Amino acid sequence: MRRFMLLSAAVGLWGLPGCYSGFSADANGFGAGSDTAADSGDGNDNDGGDGDGGDGDPDDPASLCMDADVGVTSLRRLTAEQYDHTIRDLLGLDGGYTAEFSPDERIGAFKSNGNAAVVELQVEEYMDAAEAVATDAVADLTQLLPCEASEGDTCAEAFLADFTMRAYRRPLEAGELDRVLDVYQSGKETGDGDMQAGLRVAIAGVLQSPYFLYHVEFGRPEAGDELVALTGYELASRLSYFLWDSMPDDALFQAAASGELEDADGVRAQVDRMIASPKAQDTIASFHQQWLGVDELEHAEKDPELYPSYDTTLAASMKQDVASFAQWVINEGDGTLDQLLTANVTVSDDPRLHEVYGVVAPAGRLPGEPIELPADERAGLLTMPGVMAEHAHPDQTSPILRGVLLRQELLCQVLPPPPPDVDNVPPSPSPDATTRERFHQHTADPACSGCHVQIDPLGFGLEAYDSMGAFRTNEENGLPIDDAGEVVLSDVDGEFEGGPELAAKLAESQFVQNCVSRQWFRYALGRVETEADTCAVDGISEAFTESGRDVRVLLREIALSSAFRFRKGDA
Amino acid sequence: MTKRRSPSTATPKRKNRNFSRRALLGSIGASAALAPFIPLLESQAGGDMAPKRLVLLFSPNGSLHERWAPTGSENDFQLREILSPLEAYKDQMCILDGLEVIRQGLGDGHQMGMACLWTGNQLNPGDFGGGNGGSAGWAGAASIDQAIVQALNAPTPYNSLEFGVQNGGANNWSRMIYAGSDAPVAAENNPEEMFNRLFADLGVDNSELQRIKAERRSVLDLVHGDLESLSGRYSSGDKAKVDAHLEAVREIERRNDLATPTCEQPTQDYGFNFDANENFPAVSRLMIDQMVMALACDLTRVASLQWSRSVSQTEFSWVGAGRHHDLSHLGDEDNTMVTEITAINQWYAEEVKYLLDAMAAVPEGDGTMLDNSLVVWGNELSRGNSHGNHPVPFVTFGSAGGAIQTGRYLTYDRVPHNRLLVSMAQIMGANIESFGNNDPGSGGLQGFWS
Repeated sequence: MRRFMLLSAAVGLWGLPGCYSGFSADANGFGAGSDTAADSGDGNDNDGGDGDGGDGDPDDPASLCMDADVGVTSLRRLTAEQYDHTIRDLLGLDGGYTAEFSPDERIGAFKSNGNAAVVELQVEEYMDAAEAVATDAVADLTQLLPCEASEGDTCAEAFLADFTMRAYRRPLEAGELDRVLDVYQSGKETGDGDMQAGLRVAIAGVLQSPYFLYHVEFGRPEAGDELVALTGYELASRLSYFLWDSMPDDALFQAAASGELEDADGVRAQVDRMIASPKAQDTIASFHQQWLGVDELEHAEKDPELYPSYDTTLAASMKQDVASFAQWVINEGDGTLDQLLTANVTVSDDPRLHEVYGVVAPAGRLPGEPIELPADERAGLLTMPGVMAEHAHPDQTSPILRGVLLRQELLCQVLPPPPPDVDNVPPSPSPDATTRERFHQHTADPACSGCHVQIDPLGFGLEAYDSMGAFRTNEENGLPIDDAGEVVLSDVDGEFEGGPELAAKLAESQFVQNCVSRQWFRYALGRVETEADTCAVDGISEAFTESGRDVRVLLREIALSSAFRFRKGDA
Repeated sequence: MTKRRSPSTATPKRKNRNFSRRALLGSIGASAALAPFIPLLESQAGGDMAPKRLVLLFSPNGSLHERWAPTGSENDFQLREILSPLEAYKDQMCILDGLEVIRQGLGDGHQMGMACLWTGNQLNPGDFGGGNGGSAGWAGAASIDQAIVQALNAPTPYNSLEFGVQNGGANNWSRMIYAGSDAPVAAENNPEEMFNRLFADLGVDNSELQRIKAERRSVLDLVHGDLESLSGRYSSGDKAKVDAHLEAVREIERRNDLATPTCEQPTQDYGFNFDANENFPAVSRLMIDQMVMALACDLTRVASLQWSRSVSQTEFSWVGAGRHHDLSHLGDEDNTMVTEITAINQWYAEEVKYLLDAMAAVPEGDGTMLDNSLVVWGNELSRGNSHGNHPVPFVTFGSAGGAIQTGRYLTYDRVPHNRLLVSMAQIMGANIESFGNNDPGSGGLQGFWS
């Protein structure tokens, strides 16, 4: 049997049939996936701003499309991270309650529990977590209660009224508080009249309610099949989970109550405030870690003989490095995609990671200050050790995994799966062949080359980063690195050498800009864009481009878009 | 008044402090050394009225037919390498050779194989990639064990229990049990959490237990009401999600009202990372021990154990083999592939034997719990390097109380495995005549049980 090489097995994603040599292409050369016909991959045909839509501002393309359709956002549960952040903001308790949750679903690169229903096991996990949170919450009643515990039920009721409203993230409906108070009374009774027991049971109850666990959205009262505006409170929650990865704060609840969120100006004011808030750091971290696949880097194993310094602590540091760098660009830098893709700095404080970078922190450096990295070695997110380590095998690099990352997550191009009956084991490292030579069959064999000419030449360009992301000039076998690569089927086609040159190309690509704006759209809504979102998605992309690729503008335009502020009824 | 443990910030584990009887038991499981246990109790379900049990087993990435299929005839056959660890159970097994897991619609071979294995059904459209012309989602229907659960409505605390060893993320390569369309049932992968779930009530002071149950009753009542009102606001689509949640709450309410079963706590040690590759064998044993105890105590009559997942990359260093999926793709001429894939599948057969040993050690009526059970071991592929869908290796153990004539090697010519699923349901007493939309025919598996 012939040995074919193909798309290598990334955890959970590959091992797919059908790497057709005839690459299936739509008009742009790439489909956006079967359910994502809103392909803005060519970037220049935005027709979203026809200028006739609703309350749109003609200078603000993303706020147009108010008459256009939007895709369906289904009922989603909080992710584990959102749950922990929400508990933090609701009760001042820090994290760790979700460690035993069943894993979150992913929508594309991003965690979002929007498809699968829960089963008993998960409901029990929610029960355990709620009980643990409630127990911790009532440990210090003085801290918890807004009034004197000695006031008894009056005080408990005042607390529960406010707590339940904030946990459900909306004003309570008739009878809702009474039902929570019933639980309080019943808990008090079984606890021999102890108010603390009553509060504990009531808090645990509220935290198991679907109104806490799900992003419940119906829109303004007459919800139906048509497009409806989200209520102020629903929009407040969408905004806060998008921009803060957590629940709304008091100011946002206030804006919802006052009707401020019913027009674009009101939303814009809140969005600007929220992006400037330190709480936006959680979202910037989550987005970049999930987008580039490093959010579970601790699970990546490396061959201890080849990479003795690699361990889970270093992996955690690499993962943090990606978040900190993105935060630095957006807060301290110019906030642009260009800088995210090209800046040659790290802000890590970990000397072990500095060693991987081959730098030493200058004397007198304060924590979080950027350290310049060699410009011919490092450029932005893609060349970070975390990203390179995640997209590599334990004992060798993977031009395939790296090429696929670029195609799928940076260019938003969907690759057809490899044929079912081929050998996709990476060829073993050899003393007298470079990685490129070992993968030669990919492009030599017509059965493979259809796909692999799009993948491998991108990955070969990153050969100077070893399996744990350290820069190298020779392969493990001593042969010199050849990191010549080529970009094809894009708007920045051409040859390049090494990571920094590739990054510079990608920073100029309209394809990449449009893809990044789509990725943020997916993150914001917890779903993949559909054809119905075309107007919104195109408008957002255009505004992003016009801003000089300012990520803060991108986030604002998504929040202002019709797809974000409106929903389609339960279909 | 009940004395509470005061919360301590020094305690790394934040769970289960006050509410829970689990805290009281926290140390019980951690005291003894890791050792296989043999249930000491007579089966609680026992006597002449012993119920039938169903156990589904999954190991991934295909097998090697030439080293799996026996030689000989239906009633006189010899096991080959892969099944050789099960020699002692030759008389209690049926080897089903030649079944096809029909694949249609969306998904790659692993995805379809995994989702179809127990559902016999196509996948829904979804967001998982995977190809074959579209992006596949979760399976489109319930798996056979869940259909049996629905049909039998047994009075056990748990309708079914799902045990997993390093199953990986929430995607359709990693889930095989489905409560319904778009409703994957994740297995518990953490043996300590499973212990807490199943056995932590045992030995808790009764008044304390009653207090906890009363608290939970009141909470569940609130949650139940909220879910009902929420469900009423949806007409379709999301309604199914809310209703599934409501159904889960109903089950937990029912269990909360049941008396604590009489049961032995398995003595286990959890002082290690259940997610680390090197601990795969240890977790497998802990899960099997708990599963057998749960069946013996009649906590449930339907259970499954999923080892790893499709596209498993478990590195089998303990049998001198490499990463499973990588190996499984090597060509037939490759001796490394043949040797190591054989060793890996043999290791799984040894785990199956460990399970059977434990089940056979539980006396029940005139025989053992194994006699009253139907254990079915499947795989999502026939063979790794072809991603084939026939012959997928199926072996059953136990006679389900004499219903099945065991000790046979049965051969078929690409018969849809849906028929096996139908037979499993009928053997368990469920009135099911056809199962899954992948099978043009219907009825049970001829020759096996029909």
